[in-house]
Amino acid sequence: MRPLWHITRLMWRAGPWAMWRGAAAALAVLVMGTALLGLSGWFITAAGAAGIAGVGIAFDVFRPSAGVRFLALGRAGARYAERLLTHDTTLRALASLRLAVLEQLEQRPIASLRQLRSGAGLNRIIADVDALDGLLLRLVLPVIAGLLTHLGALALIWWLAGAQIALSLSVGYLVGSGLVLWRAAKSAVAPSVEAETARQTLRHDVIGLLRGRRDVIVQGLLPKTRIEIDAAEAQATSAERHLSRIDERTALRLSLVVTLCTAAALALGQLAVRAGTIDAATAAIGVFVALALAETVLPLRRGLADLGRMHSAARRLLRDGTTGHPTALSPITPDTSRGLTVTDLTVARPGRQVAVSAPLSLTLHPGDVVALAGPSGHGKSTLLDALAGLTNPLSGQVILAGIPLSDWPETQLRDCLTLVPQRTSLIGGTVRENLALSVDTLTDGAAWAALQTVCMTDVIARVGGLDGVLGEAGSGLSGGEARRLALARAVLRAPKVLLLDEPTEGLDDALARDVLAGLKKALPECAILMAAHRPAETEFATRTISVKRHITKTEYI
Amino acid sequence: MAAKIDLVPEQRRALARAKALAIAADLLWLAQAASIAILIAGWLDGGVAQPVLWVTLFVSAGSLRAILSARAGRIAFDLGQQVVSLTRRRLLDREAPRPNSTLSSAEVAAMVTDKIPLLAPDISRYRIAFARVKVVPIVLLLVVLSQSWAAAAILLVTGPLIPVFMALVGMAARDASAKQMVEIGAVNRVLVDHIAALPDIRLLGGFDRSRRAFAVHVDSLRERTMAVLRIAFLSSTVLELFAAIGMAMVAVYVGFTLLGEINFGTWRGTMTPATGIFILLLVPEFFQPLRDLAAAWHDKAAADAVRDDLENAAGDETAAILGAGGRVTPLDGPVMIRVREAQVLRGARHIALPDIDLGPGQSLALTGPSGAGKSTALDALAGLLPLSSGHISVQGVPLDDAHADAWRARIAMVPQRLHMPDAALHDILDPHGTGANLADALSRADATDVVAALPDGLDTRLGETGAGVSGGEARRLLLARALFSGADIIIADEPTADLDTDTAARIIAALRRAQSAGATVIVASHDPNLIAAMDRVVSLSGPDS
Repeated sequence: MRPLWHITRLMWRAGPWAMWRGAAAALAVLVMGTALLGLSGWFITAAGAAGIAGVGIAFDVFRPSAGVRFLALGRAGARYAERLLTHDTTLRALASLRLAVLEQLEQRPIASLRQLRSGAGLNRIIADVDALDGLLLRLVLPVIAGLLTHLGALALIWWLAGAQIALSLSVGYLVGSGLVLWRAAKSAVAPSVEAETARQTLRHDVIGLLRGRRDVIVQGLLPKTRIEIDAAEAQATSAERHLSRIDERTALRLSLVVTLCTAAALALGQLAVRAGTIDAATAAIGVFVALALAETVLPLRRGLADLGRMHSAARRLLRDGTTGHPTALSPITPDTSRGLTVTDLTVARPGRQVAVSAPLSLTLHPGDVVALAGPSGHGKSTLLDALAGLTNPLSGQVILAGIPLSDWPETQLRDCLTLVPQRTSLIGGTVRENLALSVDTLTDGAAWAALQTVCMTDVIARVGGLDGVLGEAGSGLSGGEARRLALARAVLRAPKVLLLDEPTEGLDDALARDVLAGLKKALPECAILMAAHRPAETEFATRTISVKRHITKTEYI
Repeated sequence: MAAKIDLVPEQRRALARAKALAIAADLLWLAQAASIAILIAGWLDGGVAQPVLWVTLFVSAGSLRAILSARAGRIAFDLGQQVVSLTRRRLLDREAPRPNSTLSSAEVAAMVTDKIPLLAPDISRYRIAFARVKVVPIVLLLVVLSQSWAAAAILLVTGPLIPVFMALVGMAARDASAKQMVEIGAVNRVLVDHIAALPDIRLLGGFDRSRRAFAVHVDSLRERTMAVLRIAFLSSTVLELFAAIGMAMVAVYVGFTLLGEINFGTWRGTMTPATGIFILLLVPEFFQPLRDLAAAWHDKAAADAVRDDLENAAGDETAAILGAGGRVTPLDGPVMIRVREAQVLRGARHIALPDIDLGPGQSLALTGPSGAGKSTALDALAGLLPLSSGHISVQGVPLDDAHADAWRARIAMVPQRLHMPDAALHDILDPHGTGANLADALSRADATDVVAALPDGLDTRLGETGAGVSGGEARRLLLARALFSGADIIIADEPTADLDTDTAARIIAALRRAQSAGATVIVASHDPNLIAAMDRVVSLSGPDS
């Protein structure tokens, strides 16, 4: 349960004050509901006794009936407050959980981050975060409020009706429902994990079939694949059914606990009244409170049924975070007048040990613009990754501002060097939010100047200026526009070395030349190295270096 | 408007049984309430004759109630699951044989795994709650009425506003749940965006800034959601409030009557304590089905939204493939393809196919501008898209549902959009698991070095979760798969697109080798080198013809 404990603490810290208020409101609902039934029962029984005794006139009707009215209205009010406060609390907690997830993912190596962009890994993370939705709302808060209500009921009944009834009720409820819920939680762990796994398998298989359906049909494998998916579907359904059976059993047992506890209150009340130790109205309180306490246990079963799913989700989320914290490097004092020197650099694609291109050597001085030319698939992008310190080269040496690249602490490296890769991502939100990823304080002037550099002022004015809203992943901009916005982000970083991967892809020739000229003008002292494949780029460069294919040696076969 | 769920008669009967059981369980409370009332009233006047009997009745009725309601829950749950399974299978039956469907794979997968399951609580919770609301409060009201018309009047005043409130609460609850879905969805989308942008954010040194922006964004979403919820929750609070007022008024009325301070409202002029307690105990149960219905309302709203989605999906008019996509004995004889005056409906547009005659060992390039229908023509030749007019015959028989599978058994396709299944490479290349040696096909496709460079050779897992291969490498691997399959018709869609000339030349050479080994080769391309390497060229005109 340790992962769940960690996550609970993390979520609780998102707003301890809001959490306590939510818990207090949940408690108020349960306490007032219990008190309402108890007081009503007492009032009627006592009134009946007074009526029989013929002392109705002397009976103080004012205070109990006022109490009943107060509790009835108060409970409705408390319920409203509880719903609002716990929802607010949950939203805060989920926000902080998502932030924590984001912070952990940042530690992952670049290849893993790029792989996350589409597909299963991302689905997994979102599903895990969603699984923890109910942790506070359906489990932690109700358990706290329920336990406190029981303590209050125990104390009150002890005081009014004596230890016997009070203890029987508490022990019956706490031990009875405790055992039932504990068993339910334990037996639901495996099936709830299984149900979640089956659901993910089904998703994976469905996507696999649909993406590959053309192949599957031509290969004559459609009926076979459909049968396999039906099997995966049946497995998901059967896991859900298993869970539901546990849930039904738990509900049944909890109802029995409530019935038996109430029966015990009835029987003990009967004995006590007979023995004359308490009066009928006080004994009635025990019965009515026993009925009302059902509210404290019945809602818990939903939360507990999901315990297994929550637990494995929490474990995965925490495990993702504990991998690969890079060791912090000590700060360095670079000499930025010295540019970038590369000697005999070779690189391999992710997961491979074979060099993609022949060894590369070059020197880049401040103000240089150099093009890396060569056909696609010859490792230009892979080279740029290595030069940006995202991946380790196979061999060779990279010296940036007089200091080996591997000695640069991440923060200092990013302040000195920026890479705009071929595939860039924007975030949904305003243009300003996208540009503000580059600098801590973004003035409107700086933002517009950067947009001017990449010839984007018209486009941004069209989408509504800096506060114009872009859709998911920056939708609303064309490919070429999104790319230029990514270039504007790089300009705002004011790097000493700028690496560009086919920066003008998707722009027409005139615009490509304007954008490159704008970049040069905005960053005159910056050393620019770009993977280039079109005349607009190579002609803009002061020098062009060809990347040659690495000759595959037969030793690998 | 949302479609109704269609249940077979047997399922309808099961649903009716579940409803009856749930209602019976609710009504058993009458016996429990009576037991409590008689026992407690007995404490006031010297005790009932057989207390054990009444406690036993209370426990038995309570146990039976728990059992009946569990039974009802089980039947309803199973019914919900059946609807979910059936709906999933129907959607897949529809989508699987439509390679040109307008729905994305991710959309369909989200429907299958996330959305369709929302149909179940509509049956297992909402419909049961609705049936209880129609019966239980009325029966309890009549029982109360038989004892005291004033108490019944109180319930009647607070209760029959119920339909009004239900509509009110329903509308608000629907809004609330819709907004909340939007909020959870919106937060997830923002999170997905930020995760997807992490490589960029790292390069911009912007981790802290990104998290701050995320927090601000999510916080403003939270505030907007809470503004909506504050109003939405008010309406359900009104329901709570009326239930509470009903409870308080009945309690006060009964108390005052028992004290003798109120002398109206009963049929006999007086009320016994047992009757008073009995009436009081019925009040919460009078309102309970209503609360459950309000709580289940968002189940219905969610299911309605899913049904709307499904209906929209069914509106997609993309035609299904010819045949079943199964594995059958290949059509006999040397390759003979005839296309005459064929047209295919693609969206709202008719695409005319050129007349084609093609025999064994021949090669053909389909060319033309983007959007002219080159890929559509290839699909039609493989029976993946039915004709809207004209005909295609293969081996002398019409290419129709009866012959399409047998025809495709002779075809291998190299698709334009490369999709590497999430599987080991040897399973991708040898999908039928023949276990035969792949070396020859790999060498003919010039793909031996591709496999050699993979970390685990043929055991490497490719696709989403596995190692990546470049576009050119993937094409050569898929070409190897085509050659390995032994098919004597190879259909390749833009096999040299996005490749540098060196890699393209290797692909073209491999296709030429396949042809000289006897295969019929059909390509769609606008690569002049590839077109030149084919025996014949047929040009498709633009979209306007």
